[in-house]
Amino acid sequence: MRPNAWVGLASIILGVSYGIQAIGLPRAPIGNPMAPIYFPLGLAGLMVFLGALLFITEARKGLNSDDKNKRPKFHFESMKLIFAVILFCLIYTVLFERLGFVLSTIIFLMSMLMVVNGAKKWVQNAVITVGFSLGAWYLFVQVFQISLPTSPFGIL
Amino acid sequence: MGEILTQLSHGFSVALTFTNVLWMTVGAALGTVLGMLPGLGPTTGIALLLPMTFGMEPATALIAMSAIYYGAMFGGSRSSILLNVPGDGAAVASCFDGYPMAQKGRAEAALAISAIASFIGGLIATVAFVLIALPMARFALKFGPAEYFVLMIFALAATAAISKEAIIKGLIAMAIGLMFTTVGLDHQSGMPRFTFGITELQTGIDFVVVIIGIYGIGEVFENLEHIAKAVVKPVQTKFGKIWITMEDWKRSFWPIIRQTPVGFLIGILPGAGGTIAALMAYNNEKQISKRSHEFGEGAIEGLAAPEAANNACSVGAMIPMLTLGVPGSGTTAIMLGALLILGLQPGPLLFQQHPDIAWGIIASMFLGNVVCAIINIPLAGLLVRVLSVPPRILYPLIVSIAFLGVYTINFSAVDFVILTILGFVGYLMKKFKIPAAPLILASVVGEMMESSFRQSMMLSDGSFGIFFSSTITNVLWLLAIGSIAWPFISDYRARKKNEHTVDVPLE
Repeated sequence: MRPNAWVGLASIILGVSYGIQAIGLPRAPIGNPMAPIYFPLGLAGLMVFLGALLFITEARKGLNSDDKNKRPKFHFESMKLIFAVILFCLIYTVLFERLGFVLSTIIFLMSMLMVVNGAKKWVQNAVITVGFSLGAWYLFVQVFQISLPTSPFGIL
Repeated sequence: MGEILTQLSHGFSVALTFTNVLWMTVGAALGTVLGMLPGLGPTTGIALLLPMTFGMEPATALIAMSAIYYGAMFGGSRSSILLNVPGDGAAVASCFDGYPMAQKGRAEAALAISAIASFIGGLIATVAFVLIALPMARFALKFGPAEYFVLMIFALAATAAISKEAIIKGLIAMAIGLMFTTVGLDHQSGMPRFTFGITELQTGIDFVVVIIGIYGIGEVFENLEHIAKAVVKPVQTKFGKIWITMEDWKRSFWPIIRQTPVGFLIGILPGAGGTIAALMAYNNEKQISKRSHEFGEGAIEGLAAPEAANNACSVGAMIPMLTLGVPGSGTTAIMLGALLILGLQPGPLLFQQHPDIAWGIIASMFLGNVVCAIINIPLAGLLVRVLSVPPRILYPLIVSIAFLGVYTINFSAVDFVILTILGFVGYLMKKFKIPAAPLILASVVGEMMESSFRQSMMLSDGSFGIFFSSTITNVLWLLAIGSIAWPFISDYRARKKNEHTVDVPLE
């Protein structure tokens, strides 16, 4: 299927599910009970309309015909890299407030650099990681006076 | 006129404090560096550096942000000239003649003229800004909620309708952005909407998270794809004297003067941004030049014209943001958001209630241009060394900066999950060529848009007639419809003339 037809289809699904959610929203206790719901409902309608419009436009060109906009390619290698980073981000979320900014960032940035920059350059990675974590901590906490989570060990 | 001068001189006294000049310089330098890095344009740059301004005074914060913006516009062309890789969309046109100049051994002249043209373009545009701002702000006082609602529709429609190919996808992106703004407690009734029972979602999805996610993280994900095969091009870092000859100056002077107003006017209009301004300026000069055959092979006026236009455009783009409170581009949308975070409502009242801030920013535009020119001419050789940092080190660092920035907004790590998801959404949008700017704009103005819609409906007792009740609303509707129809009309006209049109690249 042409990539734009997929976009159209996804928009219709998004519009419909958003619309169903919108209808189920609690009514306002004061004023017009429907007031908080009109705008989302309008949005849902707009989304479904646009999705359908895009899908139909594409369908008229032939759903499986050649598209000068090349089909987006998802290579296994690059997806592996992206999903690895996503995983690190989620782990970072869990560690951030538990281990404090400096420690969790060292783990986070180091793992990203090991995967993206390569494990062979571990010395370079370690220097950058520690330099960044301490530098950012100093800048935010000492210079800007913005508090960041501290580690359970009391330092940093 | 006298009043404007008084206000302006007051503005200079605000902008010229030590702290403000310091942050202006830091902002301009950081902006230049971020603007140089391919893939990181002014929008992402400002979004990433936004948290840095949270602890500042409102005037200082805005001055710093404007400086980042100009710095990024100045810097964008560095990598166009030296690597043939534009730092952002607005610098695409700078590749056409900038890179051939560098290859012919004239990198110094190319770097110098792009900074000089940007400087003159920015300066003239700022003078025009000063003359227009106050009358525009006074006019905007006539706007009621209905006028604002339609104005925002116009701004969104114009942003979505940049290219004919992507017009429906642009509108879809806009609708997604508006959906984001409906998450959280409803401001008027206090009812939770789309929170799925998650307490943290009650405060809504902050648009800064949306911007950093879609632009910053999404950009990184996309770049991770070709990181394996990415080869860092060697960058010229040794330069002779970065300056131009008299001959260069004579050839560039009139193109700069001619294309500055073009860029400025495009900047004021919502939607069309620096990319269009620069491409249009380039094409204009190519058409009128006696040396049009030299264009594309290193004609200095082919670099000067788009550079002047895109800087004038970035100044023009600040007009609707500051005077109407409705931004016309992704970058100005972030600046508007920053004002809101600082508790200021941009728009006509800003000039009445906080003249020091409004005029301080305007004065800082003059100073910012000078600072940027100083940073970009003598220090160009030093700054371009950033371009030799390999992306495989750069991108993990950008991810870390993004997370740190997002944390400082709500001090909640839950935002990290939203940020990661949005980053992936941004990546998919790039893969499917869905423009991001309408989504960003919508996520910033969405809340204002809904509240002005509901205020109007309350005023009119539920009648939609209020949106067609004044000349201003009707003109705005016409403009909105016109901006959606325009890509089709211009395409039709071009096909009739059998001319080749340049479809604007999405980013």
